Amino acid sequence: MRKHLSPGLVLLLLFFVAAAALPFFVDPRGHLLRVAAMALLFAAMAQSWNIVGGLANQVSLGHAAFFGLGAYTSTLLFLRFGISPWIGMFAGAALAAFAAALLSFPTFRLKGHYFALATLAFAEVLRVIANSWASVTGGPVGLSIPFLGTKPELFAFRAVSSYYWIILALLVIVCLAFRLLARGAIGYRLRAVRENENAAEVAGVDTFRVKLTASIISAAFTALCGTVFAQFTFFFDPDSIFALSGISVRMAMIAIVGGLGTLGGPIIGALFLIPLEEVANAYLSSAAAGLSQFVFGAILVAAILIQPRGLMAYWPKSKAGRLARKDAKPVTPATPATEGGR
Amino acid sequence: MVQALVDGVLLGGVYGVIATGLSLVFGVLGVVNFAHAEFLMLGMYVAWFAWRYLGLDPLLGSVLSFIIVFGVGYVVQRTLIERVLKAPPAAQVFLTVGLLIAIENAALMVFGSEFRSVSVPYQVEGYRLAGIFISAPYLYAFAAAVILSAALWFFLDRSWTGRAIRAVAQDPMASALVGVDTKRTYGLAFGLGVALTAFGGAVILPYITVSPTIGGQFVVLMFTVVVLGGLGSVAGALVGGIVVGVVQSMSALVFPIQLQNLCLFVIFIAVLALRPQGLIKGA
Amino acid sequence: MATHGAAPILEASGVAVTFGGLKAVDKVSFTLRPGEIVGLIGPNGAGKTTLFNSLVGLQRLTAGEVRLNGEKVSGLKPHRIARKGMTKTFQNAALFPDMSVTENVMTAALLRHDLAGARAKAEQVLERLGLTAIGDADVSDLTFPQKALVEMARALATEPKVLLLDEVMAALTPTEMDDVMAVIRSLRDEGLAFLVVEHHMRAIMALCERLIALNFGQLIAEGSPTDVANHPTVIEAYLGAGAAEAAHA
Repeated sequence: MRKHLSPGLVLLLLFFVAAAALPFFVDPRGHLLRVAAMALLFAAMAQSWNIVGGLANQVSLGHAAFFGLGAYTSTLLFLRFGISPWIGMFAGAALAAFAAALLSFPTFRLKGHYFALATLAFAEVLRVIANSWASVTGGPVGLSIPFLGTKPELFAFRAVSSYYWIILALLVIVCLAFRLLARGAIGYRLRAVRENENAAEVAGVDTFRVKLTASIISAAFTALCGTVFAQFTFFFDPDSIFALSGISVRMAMIAIVGGLGTLGGPIIGALFLIPLEEVANAYLSSAAAGLSQFVFGAILVAAILIQPRGLMAYWPKSKAGRLARKDAKPVTPATPATEGGR
Repeated sequence: MVQALVDGVLLGGVYGVIATGLSLVFGVLGVVNFAHAEFLMLGMYVAWFAWRYLGLDPLLGSVLSFIIVFGVGYVVQRTLIERVLKAPPAAQVFLTVGLLIAIENAALMVFGSEFRSVSVPYQVEGYRLAGIFISAPYLYAFAAAVILSAALWFFLDRSWTGRAIRAVAQDPMASALVGVDTKRTYGLAFGLGVALTAFGGAVILPYITVSPTIGGQFVVLMFTVVVLGGLGSVAGALVGGIVVGVVQSMSALVFPIQLQNLCLFVIFIAVLALRPQGLIKGA
Repeated sequence: MATHGAAPILEASGVAVTFGGLKAVDKVSFTLRPGEIVGLIGPNGAGKTTLFNSLVGLQRLTAGEVRLNGEKVSGLKPHRIARKGMTKTFQNAALFPDMSVTENVMTAALLRHDLAGARAKAEQVLERLGLTAIGDADVSDLTFPQKALVEMARALATEPKVLLLDEVMAALTPTEMDDVMAVIRSLRDEGLAFLVVEHHMRAIMALCERLIALNFGQLIAEGSPTDVANHPTVIEAYLGAGAAEAAHA
């Protein structure tokens, strides 16, 4: 049926090509490239979140848990045992996947607010553990990765551009995974679960297994992002890596502002929000402490009130756009009399 | 041991009032207000300024906290929350999370990041009763919480507005039909909910310092209390508060201070998983 | 026609569901044979939908047992029961609103097919129900009768042996109703067993070979349509309920 590329997909591919070329046109060690790399990393994180939050509509407020597990696992394996972060990142992903599976058992029946609360508490548990179990995690002071010069086999580079391309590759992989999931059998099942869990069960969908699969994949990708973040920034501590607003909410917010459950949403959201935050930090932080974070919160409130379907809704050809136009129309029930007449 | 029990009950009574506000908001509006603890912070600041510039004891300043935060809450509900009442939970979650971040950082801008505390004459005083030390600020805060709870019960049970709130909680459509202004009632309920929490924040000011991030320390505590008592249950929140207070001060005997919250988290996730409707069923 | 000699495909024995102290379904036993259309009647609140939910696994049984093809299915999750061959439609068309009609049906067809096979199966089912023309429509744009038919198409796409229909004809015009009844009969001739809740007595009488009547969760009568319709307890149940409804109006 839809064998040819849609205009949206062509735009996405063009974006990836342009993004790959960017380091050739800007200072490869400069601040601009760092911001761009961060935006792409957050896009990858938001896309990972989107697998659970967008496709299954399980609103997680605790994805920082998996992000932090990824960062801690690879970094500790490297610092304590000299294991390359390239291997450590998959250990972290495996651990995060395992944690997601464990968390699924007590939470799979929870919906909406309750699920959000439970995931939030889970990330908080990990934050408290990371802070208190200092003999293993290094405690509240956090972990630093010593810089030993460019060592590709140890995931260490002098040039920002190297990290930038790795992050871009990660984003492409997560987007590919998202698209395969969304278009595959599991995508249909996830959307069914999202829209009516009982009806999905009766139509033969193993709702628990579908959600479990999505959470595991989502957690694993989030953990990969965590490792990359740790390698890129050289330093992190429990409060910043397991942060509610800094990580968990931001991941979700990027996906929501861009367009929940859409392929392009997290990328658009990240390209819009991360540079905006960067500018806000640069110009507003000096004005008053907290102002840029205040703006961040205010944008989230505004985004929910103005266009809950996200920026993707302004792309007329997208499904989000069609649905948003439908939202705007007053609902006229098809045959109002019949239901009440029985 | 007994000492910890007494401390726990005294603390827990205040937690009860703090969490009652959250539970009331959920019970009436059906919205889980993630920003709720920020109103606790606002309440504490109002009481602090009342103490600093008006010389009011926080126990009296709490009345001012109640009134001012009620007004703020009413406006927030009518301008923001009202618009997502019928939206899917995700929209409600993120609207209130956005509010949380905005309020916390607005406070940081306005009040600065320093910790502020009050000094009152009874701060380190207390009563000895059969070998148990009853701290005066704990006791007074507990007494204030009990008085406010009684007033709340009286208000919900007897006053017309209170009854309207309960009616809207049960069936908004039917309430609208019999002439209740549901939008106004939602506003009042939200205002009342955050005002209760602000009051709770004000009365603990003699033994807890306030800073813009104080809300973060209460978020999980508050939700644990409410989830224990059953989301939406006002009586359950009061009982849940005392349970959490006791668990907290008992666990302090066994665990180092950083792990105290861990106990709460574990209880929290366990209760959510096993009995999302709450352990304590009540009105 | 019903193969009266065949072993029952569905056996419910002593099925009971209690909510608090209320007995929504009270020790109901009946059987359904392959190729049989049985009507389930009873006044509002008699427990028909609760019985349906307990059969397909949406509602946990307080007591009793449900067997499908001789195998115990009570206690299984709905998707397992669907896999074994029993599913139901929802009274108020619980479709997946953000999906097209074809996608709705495909989701169910994925139970036994891969993606391509599911699409083919969905198109086949839609054609059989005369819904091909609206395959690409969003379900939120459908009329209520269309939704009910898509609901039925989705259930059929799981390729059930037993299908529980909860008021799929509620809003249909007489002609549409005849079309749907023709489809049900032809599926019956292929060996599918139906348990049908319907308020249109005309449809019930025309379609069913046998009726079961529920009131206050209890099975009060069972037999041929005319026998059950003339059964004194059934008449009393309806008249009582009718009188009560008239008093409320």
